[in-house]
Amino acid sequence: MLHFDPYSPAVDADPFPYYKRLRDEAPCFWSEEAQMWILSRYADIVGAGQDWKTYSSAAGNMMTELPNRAGSTLGTTDPPRHDRLRALVQYAFLKRNLEGLAGPIRDIARGAADELRGETTFDFKDFSAKFTVRVLMAALGLPSGAEAIVDEDTVREKAVLMVQSDPRTRAKGPEHLAAFDWMREYAAKVIAMRRAAPRDDLISNFAMAEIDGDKLDDREVLLTTTTLVMAGVESLGGFMMMFAYNLATFPEAREAVVLNPDLLADAIEESLRFNTSAQRFKRRLMRDVTLHGQTLREGDFVCLAYGSGNRDERQFPDPDRYDVARKPRGHLGFGGGVHACLGTSIARLATKIAFEAFHEVVPRYSRVADQLAWMPSSTFRSPLVLELAVH
Amino acid sequence: MAKITYVEHNGHATTVDVPDGWSLMQAAVTNAIPGIVGECGGSRACATCHCYIDEARLGDLPAPEEGELAMLDMAAAEVRPASRLSCQIKASPALDGLVVHLPETQG
Repeated sequence: MLHFDPYSPAVDADPFPYYKRLRDEAPCFWSEEAQMWILSRYADIVGAGQDWKTYSSAAGNMMTELPNRAGSTLGTTDPPRHDRLRALVQYAFLKRNLEGLAGPIRDIARGAADELRGETTFDFKDFSAKFTVRVLMAALGLPSGAEAIVDEDTVREKAVLMVQSDPRTRAKGPEHLAAFDWMREYAAKVIAMRRAAPRDDLISNFAMAEIDGDKLDDREVLLTTTTLVMAGVESLGGFMMMFAYNLATFPEAREAVVLNPDLLADAIEESLRFNTSAQRFKRRLMRDVTLHGQTLREGDFVCLAYGSGNRDERQFPDPDRYDVARKPRGHLGFGGGVHACLGTSIARLATKIAFEAFHEVVPRYSRVADQLAWMPSSTFRSPLVLELAVH
Repeated sequence: MAKITYVEHNGHATTVDVPDGWSLMQAAVTNAIPGIVGECGGSRACATCHCYIDEARLGDLPAPEEGELAMLDMAAAEVRPASRLSCQIKASPALDGLVVHLPETQG
């Protein structure tokens, strides 16, 4: 009997054997544990992502949604409301508007890498966490330095907790909800600061933005800012952990990118395909759909298992091989369609710069532990700790 | 389903069956057609899926929205009257047989 429980620690640790059975035996599978359909084949996930009218995000997009968030963020609205929000936020994330950030990001990366000099073993999270939070502070314009209202570690800690869920109750636990409340309050303070004295940064622009006299309401500003901090810190940090995990696990890949840092861009794309941190997102059906002989009813929730689509042998030959020369076109590491990740450009830019700086200080490394502790999350996947030994 | 023919800048043509509702960008990257990048994943946040629609068929397509036109300004290759972002064009039976020309570069 086939089971798929996205709350199971075994799925956190290694979802790929489960995904393969789903793709081969039940490509449209009702998960009792998750109370939703699981789509696991590449073509079905892409098809759903292209059809936002049928596969709606308005009832939430995280597998285990945070209370009262759906309907007020980019990821939890459908067009045309989504397009209006996106138009107001997107400008700052366009590739050509990020060019000015490359220098500051490089300084942040070198600073964080310098702290690793002389270490023989360390947790990669110490590097990725410092780097990610500082980059996000620079990119979004969160108060830092003399202006800071909280320390960096707290922001990261809360962002990471927000995306987790409790494996026993299959819901957000009190600590996850408290982290969400904390982040909302933090975002409210930052918005108030920027409204009182606007600067040239994303949150100021976003809080004051108007298109044809249409302004975002306070709830949209607040929850979108909250989500940007969460996504920025957790998703970028989680992806960097996965990338380091791959390079520490596959020495030929690491040697290739250290020898020729121009290959980092391809290695990043392959990591986005191979085991991206954004494993599963959720949609809700707006009409009945028939798929692989099953009838899915209007109102049912559907999981788009991006991590499975990325390992679908129907799309990617030899999918379980991490191959930096693959150049995997059309991968689902950033999702797809109208809800494709807002941060694609900054994620690619920041990860490349981070690993260039990291490899200047630590060019040879491997994993210390064979078994890792994985984050309990039904949506994202990354190790909580990644001990690396320097060679 | 619609048969769409992608003609690369070097003249190489590939015809694929595109399911209804799929964007022409998505079908191109899924079928590994060179000449379309689709860097942003289809959210109209880059211009790396720029294409030129066969002019005789332009009328079969819904007109571009303002956001698409604004983003086309960022395209690396020459923007012409028949320029579109292929992520914004959804396949339907009305597009069957459409020929899409790809630019020299997506930047």
